Amino acid sequence: MDNLITFLDYFKMLMPQVISGLLITLQIFSLTLIFSIPLGVLIALGRLSKLKILKAITGTYILILRGTPLLLQIIFIFFGLPLIGITLDRLPAALFAITLNYGAYFAEIFRAGIRSIDKGQYEGAEVLGLSPKDTFFRIIFPQALKRVLPPVGNEVVTLIKDTALVYILGLDDLLKVGKIAANRDATLLPLVIIAGIYLLLTYFLTKFMTGFETKYDYYQ
Amino acid sequence: MTMKNLITKIITLSLMGSFVLGVAGCSTKGNNAAAPAAESTLDQSVWVVGLDDLFAPMGFRDEKGEIVGFDVDIAKAIGEKLEKEIQFQPINWDMKESELNAGNIDLIWNGYTITDERKEKVSFSVPYLDNKQVIVTLAASDIKAKADLAGKRVGAQSESSAVSAMEKDSALYQSFDGGKAITFEDNNQALMDLEAGRLDAVVADEILLRYYITLKGQEKFTVLDENFGDEQYGVGIRKDDSRMVDAFNAAYAELKEDGTLKAISEKWFGEDITK
Repeated sequence: MDNLITFLDYFKMLMPQVISGLLITLQIFSLTLIFSIPLGVLIALGRLSKLKILKAITGTYILILRGTPLLLQIIFIFFGLPLIGITLDRLPAALFAITLNYGAYFAEIFRAGIRSIDKGQYEGAEVLGLSPKDTFFRIIFPQALKRVLPPVGNEVVTLIKDTALVYILGLDDLLKVGKIAANRDATLLPLVIIAGIYLLLTYFLTKFMTGFETKYDYYQ
Repeated sequence: MTMKNLITKIITLSLMGSFVLGVAGCSTKGNNAAAPAAESTLDQSVWVVGLDDLFAPMGFRDEKGEIVGFDVDIAKAIGEKLEKEIQFQPINWDMKESELNAGNIDLIWNGYTITDERKEKVSFSVPYLDNKQVIVTLAASDIKAKADLAGKRVGAQSESSAVSAMEKDSALYQSFDGGKAITFEDNNQALMDLEAGRLDAVVADEILLRYYITLKGQEKFTVLDENFGDEQYGVGIRKDDSRMVDAFNAAYAELKEDGTLKAISEKWFGEDITK
């Protein structure tokens, strides 16, 4: 009982810091999603394009961004770009790096989704006299989007945990807040609390994604 | 043809997209962040102190999440003396010199040990505190002297002066289990590993170690009489900024003179240990 009271007191004491860390984590998480999903679609289109040059550029982009550690990319963007005159503050630098990185992963997911749509769909659209633009945005892409929801959900859940990498720029995100408290009080307790919060976040995200999938699960 | 148009539009959009993202990033840049460093830090009205906010009791976050500590109090006192606004920026300790040279921070001030390697990258203020790299083991350990560390698993904080101090004793260092020390992101992790029995000893700053040992229970640990050498803490200033170093040292001397340092030291350590 005493232990429980100590724990609750500790929890209460830690809460304001946890919330400030949570805000940083959620900020990076949501802004990254907003920017990287459209970026992923664009890169996927480049990969699928008939133009060789576009194919090569986007292919290289994906190779580099998927082929190097995200942590390294964050370091390069924050510490490396100033050498060529582009200086970003901590949060924008983190956001920029994570967005570029996730854009590459989303691109491959969307490419798979678009490729999975049957050729007959294009032919049907052509017969109906739809323009290539309408064919893509009204026929192909919506169906592709539905199909890729599970792997997108996978990336989304990974993203919430990858945001913790911003510690390298000195940003006090959720995990860092836990580490600060663990260092100050020489106990693992704050890390247990932080783990619980990540779990809760993932739980709600999973729920949300499942709901999304169910909602768009017509025709099947 | 129309497909081509579509593609052209997409390229334009994506270029614009990345451009907008980049510009948005630039425009939110803080005033102090990485502005091309002024000729001398002394000419700036705001000084950004870079610190690892995991480093109790020198600079860390208290229970309310405020940055506090011995170094933090001195930094504030110096700022008052020289009429500078002092801001504190948490950084990752592995990146401290990169942060300083990129102009993201103006001072490295967080139990920053003066070493020869670091002198090549930064300029140091006068030393303000004596420190030792001490060896700590579990109370029941059979390690009684430095020489007993041969073949043992020894831990320390990554990029810390503890590692440099051990490396200087290269024969002993190479005799450790694995031929080198096992390094951790922070000292607390190293001490937890020691408690778990996977490490035989941890080498760290005496000042910091005393803080942890008090928290974790003094009876659990032994601090050996032998150590990896005396050293001193100083404040890291951008290299060759001699005007800044002079002004800083003068302000420090005044604070020593008027008793401000004594008061701060007594608040954190119970006695005056400043130099």
